[in-house]
Amino acid sequence: MKYLLKVAAILSLFFVFACSSTDSGRNISDFTIPVNNFSKTVELLISDENFLEDEILKINAQNPSVQRIIKSADDFLKQKNYIVANSELERAFRITKMDGALYLRLAHLRYKQGLLKESESFAYKGLLLPNISSWERLLLNVYLKN
Amino acid sequence: MKFKLTISFIFGLVGLLIFTFFAALIAVIDYRVTSKLEGVLWTVPAKIYSRPLELAEGVNINSNNLIKELKMLSYKVERDPDSPGEFNFSQNTLNIFLRGYLDQKPGLFRVTFDDSKINNIKNQLGLSEDLIKLEPTVIGGMYPVHMEDRVLLNWPEVPQKLLDTILAVEDQNFFNHYGVSLKSISRAFLKNIQAGEVEQGGSTITQQLAKSLFFSSEQTIRRKVMEAIASLLIEFHYSKEEILLAYINDVFLAQSGRRAIHGFGMGAQHFFGTSVNNLSIDQIALLVGMLKGPSLYNPERNPNNATKRRNLVLSILNKSNKISDSEFEDLRLRELGITPPNYRAEIEYPAFHDIVRLELQKNFADKDLRTKGLSIETNLDPVLQNSLENSLAKTKDQLIKKYGDKLNDLEGAAIAVDISNGEVKAAAGSTKPKSYGFNRAINAIRPIGSLVKPFIYLTALNNYDEYNLSTILDDSKLSLVSGGKVWEPDNFDKKFHGQVPLHVALWQSYNIASARLGIELGFEAVQGMFSDLGIEKEVPVYPSIFIGSFELSPFEAIQAYQTIAGDGFYTPLRSIRQIKDTKGEIELSYPYSIEQRIRPEPIALIKFAMQQSFVRGTARGYSKKQIDLWNAGGKTGTSDDQRDSWFVGFAGDILVLVWLGFDDNRQTPLTGRTGAFQVWKNFIDEIKPVTAPSTSLPRIQYVWTDLEDGLKSGEKCKNSLLVPFIEGTEPTLVPESRKRCSGRGKMSENSVIDKLKQIFEGGQS
Repeated sequence: MKYLLKVAAILSLFFVFACSSTDSGRNISDFTIPVNNFSKTVELLISDENFLEDEILKINAQNPSVQRIIKSADDFLKQKNYIVANSELERAFRITKMDGALYLRLAHLRYKQGLLKESESFAYKGLLLPNISSWERLLLNVYLKN
Repeated sequence: MKFKLTISFIFGLVGLLIFTFFAALIAVIDYRVTSKLEGVLWTVPAKIYSRPLELAEGVNINSNNLIKELKMLSYKVERDPDSPGEFNFSQNTLNIFLRGYLDQKPGLFRVTFDDSKINNIKNQLGLSEDLIKLEPTVIGGMYPVHMEDRVLLNWPEVPQKLLDTILAVEDQNFFNHYGVSLKSISRAFLKNIQAGEVEQGGSTITQQLAKSLFFSSEQTIRRKVMEAIASLLIEFHYSKEEILLAYINDVFLAQSGRRAIHGFGMGAQHFFGTSVNNLSIDQIALLVGMLKGPSLYNPERNPNNATKRRNLVLSILNKSNKISDSEFEDLRLRELGITPPNYRAEIEYPAFHDIVRLELQKNFADKDLRTKGLSIETNLDPVLQNSLENSLAKTKDQLIKKYGDKLNDLEGAAIAVDISNGEVKAAAGSTKPKSYGFNRAINAIRPIGSLVKPFIYLTALNNYDEYNLSTILDDSKLSLVSGGKVWEPDNFDKKFHGQVPLHVALWQSYNIASARLGIELGFEAVQGMFSDLGIEKEVPVYPSIFIGSFELSPFEAIQAYQTIAGDGFYTPLRSIRQIKDTKGEIELSYPYSIEQRIRPEPIALIKFAMQQSFVRGTARGYSKKQIDLWNAGGKTGTSDDQRDSWFVGFAGDILVLVWLGFDDNRQTPLTGRTGAFQVWKNFIDEIKPVTAPSTSLPRIQYVWTDLEDGLKSGEKCKNSLLVPFIEGTEPTLVPESRKRCSGRGKMSENSVIDKLKQIFEGGQS
């Protein structure tokens, strides 16, 4: 039940975000990504780290080769072997530098390693990708306010 | 009675002395046995590898570069590859028989390309493979004084067929003796008499190990006795498996320059370019056969002797039923199949090696590097490295032809890095890149000339409430007192250009406009930007730094430009990926690290201005289509009196910086364009980078502006250029004189805007 409530909350947030992502009337001194306005709410809603990790690991890479490598990285991440998980993610990154799934994992991995500033930077870099989904965008935003 | 006592005493004393002598001798030999077997034998030099190339579906790779790399790895072109180390490339399809590396099994694979993108990879059965891995090149090592080189094998890594062959040829009775075997000696004697040649030696494996570890090859009774004692002691201290493993790791197989090749692991690497597990029986037979006379049976120098010896070993295996008759017939007809070593015995790329060494010294003691057998996986791309070195040397030749012998001593440095993750792909520290000496890539601290300007302009653009690309700068005469002296900067063309838009001042590299801008921004703001870009040095407080008197090494300069090329994310440059111990466990990794320091929007503006250097500035010469495809941008730099020629530029996923000049700092006839840019161009034209990763910046708007007054213009107006602005900062005022042409161009403006947005934002409009 708790799980269902969380999913419902995230989906409603996702809906609100999707409806408002065309907003452009903001102050010129604010150059952050539009979704940022919701990051506080996101932070409040997604307060369960394990749940967040589950959601991130569900994001697949677009390239099957990359998917295979990040699957291996995910296994190491779950075993808390962060060094090898990172090494695998970097392998995948050399194949494609344009996949939101990779930036999400790098942001999450750095978060787990306690490197919060780096986690935020990876999330921010991921947000600059042209082809990420709104869901990836939303999850990346979670790491902007670490 | 007294006489008898004296005799007994003397005999007793002599006996005691003899006993003491032998006891001491045994103790000394015992000490040497244990210390050597537990010490020196297991000292393995660290090896430095290039990056292993992974081919995967969707990877962008220039197929010409791939073929170059295969040739560097000693892969041979064959019509139908059917053995490890062979390949064929035609009609966008690569058929390759991999040798195998780590988890990559050897085998035949078919890789099809769609232009520069890998379409799919299939194995021999026609099944899709996600990715395949090429073995890296060993680009150097950290050798101990004795220069013994080996790849240490642990017991599980030793293939059974190698054990069978060694035991069949060298010591069939190994598991049944105590180090010395009279039976072995007599059996070998009889066999050799029957065969009419020396098929087997009489020494046991333990004796051979003892001989190789402690004694010279002289044939004396004394040495034989010592060897026998040492063999018994080895058997006393160690298990049979430990002795066999020590033997496998220690045997001397060949001399390669100053390097001594020891052990079957290194032998497999040296002669066949692969690991011992991937060796076929005939290859193992060759290596085992060589033990009898590493020089006499060296397959490189004496291929006929080596073939005969290998076939003799194969016949022993056949007689002892390790291989069948048909296998024997097949194997004995095979060629030796040795590959030129893809192993650089000496340091192949000194400048890159130097960068690696400095990095390693932060974390490892010199002794550990020379003895612990560490595998150092670097980011070196051997194809880019060779191209960079060739480009430096080739450009120097071209410049000597153009300017004459006065450039004979011209020196240079160049570094290539991956824009996205800061991996150092190649580095050269001299125009004679193989020479090992002063590494200018990291040690030449020189004034960077106009390379400093993008840092100053970025300081302004980062202050987006006050500056944009159309902000008018003043390029009129400047005169001020600095350090008690009057300072009056000049432009390269010795002219003043009056009021110019900021982006024009940058790609035209106007000195006075830059100096005025720097002064306006203030030292503190500029220092802040330098620091954000990754420059750790303090900015001296004198105005000439704004036009390039500031000194940096090429490595420091490219670090700062990496932050620009990388969209404002500072990424420490890395020459090493990771370091593994002899068990393959990661001992230390150098992870990809980023820190967002400058917002991507101001960076997009400065990158646009740097792109104009290619379109109409000092780096012109490429087609607009090519510049767009690579999303290329760059900056030339020339220091006072043309003592230094610089160029830094990004194209595709690569950022390259080049410096040319004389070591004694004398004047050159070169500018940034006529010198360093030519190296960059030769390099980029050779490697042909793949398309650049794109970013999406929704808050960047494109507006037609005038190249002279910077105000709003239109596509149909003369002197107009489509310029990016951060939303809300774009010029809105259209002068009366351009109202007509700017209005008419409105419809088509959108289409061009869309096109430009596609270039800058990867298809997002």
